[in-house]
Amino acid sequence: MTTRRCVLLSLVLLLATGAATAQTATEPSQSELVNALLGRIDKLERRVAEVEAGKSPGSTPQPQTPPAEVPPLQTLQTPSTEEVQKRVATQTHEHDEHLPNGAAAEHHFPSLQLRGFADVDFSATDEPGSHSGFNLGQFVLHVASPLSKKVAYFGELSFTAQPTSYTADVERSIIRYDYHDYFKLSFGRYHTPINYWNTEFHHGLWLQTTISRPEMIRFGGRFQPVHFLGMLAEGNIPSGPLGLGYEIGLGNGRAGTISRAGDAGDVNNNRAWVARVIARPTGLRGLQVGGAIYGDEITPTPALSGHPRFSELIESAHIVWTSETPEFLSEFANVHHRDSLTGTVYNSQAYYVQLGYRLPWQQKKWKPYYRFEYMHIPATEPLFSVPDFEVKDLVSSTAGIRYDISDFAALKWEYRHTKRGPTDPIVNAAFVQTSFTF
Amino acid sequence: MRKAATFRAAFAAALALTLVCYSRSAADITAVQDIAVVVNPNNAVNNLSLSGLSKIYRGERQYWRANLPVVVLFRTPGTYEREVVLRTIFQMTEPQYRQYWVSKIMRAEATSPPAELFSSGMIKEGVAAIPGAIGCVRVSDVRPDMKVLRIDGRLPSEPGYPLH
Repeated sequence: MTTRRCVLLSLVLLLATGAATAQTATEPSQSELVNALLGRIDKLERRVAEVEAGKSPGSTPQPQTPPAEVPPLQTLQTPSTEEVQKRVATQTHEHDEHLPNGAAAEHHFPSLQLRGFADVDFSATDEPGSHSGFNLGQFVLHVASPLSKKVAYFGELSFTAQPTSYTADVERSIIRYDYHDYFKLSFGRYHTPINYWNTEFHHGLWLQTTISRPEMIRFGGRFQPVHFLGMLAEGNIPSGPLGLGYEIGLGNGRAGTISRAGDAGDVNNNRAWVARVIARPTGLRGLQVGGAIYGDEITPTPALSGHPRFSELIESAHIVWTSETPEFLSEFANVHHRDSLTGTVYNSQAYYVQLGYRLPWQQKKWKPYYRFEYMHIPATEPLFSVPDFEVKDLVSSTAGIRYDISDFAALKWEYRHTKRGPTDPIVNAAFVQTSFTF
Repeated sequence: MRKAATFRAAFAAALALTLVCYSRSAADITAVQDIAVVVNPNNAVNNLSLSGLSKIYRGERQYWRANLPVVVLFRTPGTYEREVVLRTIFQMTEPQYRQYWVSKIMRAEATSPPAELFSSGMIKEGVAAIPGAIGCVRVSDVRPDMKVLRIDGRLPSEPGYPLH
C-alpha cells in the first residue's frame, strides 16, 4: 500500500514537473514568440539576400556556405561573458552590398511631421457683463521637418475664434542649424525663453495640467513678452551630472503695442536680448531650475505724453519638478521699466506656485491641482495701464482636476477665484475644457 | 526490500527529472534577459554610463561628435527589448514615452521620435549601415558587425549589468 502510494506520489511529481515545464515553455509572452519568429524571418531574409546576390549577373561566384542556422526557440540562450567578449573582440567590418532595411531608419530630407492640438471650452463666471457658454479654443498645427542632418525647421500655426471670424497667427517659425549638442543656432519667431511655461507648453493646452496659463504669461498679456523675433543660440554646457544648458538670443523684442512682437520690424534701433541658463540634474530626473534675464527698449504706440521711451529689464527664475507624483511648478519674474524722460523707475512682480498630483487609482487617470498666483503692478506704471490689462494687484487661486480620457485627450474641470485689484470685486469662474492632440 | 529499492529508484528518478526540468525552465527564463547596447563598429565610443545612455535615448544628447549625429534605433511596441529600454533607460510606461516625444517635438527639441524597427535583424542592418546608429538587441542577437558597448563598465552577462 505504502509502495503504491509512493509510486503514485512519484507519478504526480512527474506530471507536475511536466506540467510546470510545459507551462514555462508556453509562459514567455507572446511578444517574445513574435520576436523569435521575427528573428527567424530576418535570418531567412538574409539568406535569401545572399542567394540572390550569388545569382545576380556579373557577380562573382561565392563559395557555397551552409545556410544560416536558425536556432530553435529553446536555444535562445544568453551567451556567457566569454562569448560576448569574444564577439566583441572578433568584430569585423562587413559591408553588405545590398541596401539594408534598417538603413531606412535614417532621416530622409525633408520629412514633414505634422501634429495638431485643439480644445473646446465651457465657461461660467459671475463677472458683470460676461456670459456663460461654450467656445472653441485654439486650433493649433505644429510642424517639424529635418531639412538635412544638421538643419531642421519647426513651425506653429494657430487659428483662434473671434466674434466675426478666425484669426490665423504664425506663433513660431524657426529654422535651426545644429553644430553639435553644445551649439545650435536658429533664426525665427520664438516663444520668448524668459518664462518656463512659455517654452514648455507653447499653444498645446493638452500638454499643460491646467486649463489656463498663469496671468503673468497669458496670451495677449503685457507683463512678459510672449514672442520674440530674431536669432537664438542654445545648447548644453559640459557640466556632468548638473545637466546645464543655455540660450542666448538677440531680436526685435516688443512692438509698439507691447503685447505683440515686432514681427514686421523693430520699432526702434535697440535690439532686445535674452539669456537663460537651466539645470536638469541627471540624478534628479524631473527637476529643472533656471534663471533668465531679458533687456529691451520699448517705444509705445500710440506714443505717451512727451514721447518717452522705456528701458526694460526682466529677471526671472523658475524651479519645477515635472514628475507627476507630485508635480510642482513655480516661477517668479520682476519687470523693471525706466522712463527715459523722467528717469522714473517702475518695478512689477509676479509669481505663481502650482501643485498637482497624479492619483494612483483608476489607471492614474485623475490629477487634481491647485495654483496660487500673485501679481503686483505699481498704480502709476504707464505701460501696463491699459483697459485690456486690468491688473493692479492680482491674487488668484485656481483649483481643478484633470482626467485623461486617453493617452492623448484630457478633460479638465477648473474653478478660479480672482481679485484683480484692492478695490475690484472678487470674480468666481468655473471652466470645463477638453483638450487633445492629434 | 525490493519494493523499497524500486520506490527509492523511482523517487530518485522523479526528483532528478524535476531538477533537470526546473533548471532548464530557469535557463529559458534567463535566456532572454540581458540586452546589449550596440553601435556601428566605426564608432569610437566603447563605454557609456547608464545616465549617459539615458540622455542619448531621451534625445538630450544628439551628437556623438560634431559631424556624427546619433540615430537611435528602437524596437516596436510589445517587444522585450523595448520593454527593457522603457523600464531601465526611460523609466517610463509606453503611454508616457509617447507623450514624452509629443512634448519634446512641440518644444522643438527634436524633429521625430526614435525610429521603430520590426526586428532585431533590422536593428543589426541599421547599426551596420548608419555610422551614428545605436540600438538595443538581445545578447543572442549580437552579430560580428555590431559593436557592443559597456554600460557603466560592464558587458552583458557580467554581474551588475543594468539592462535586463
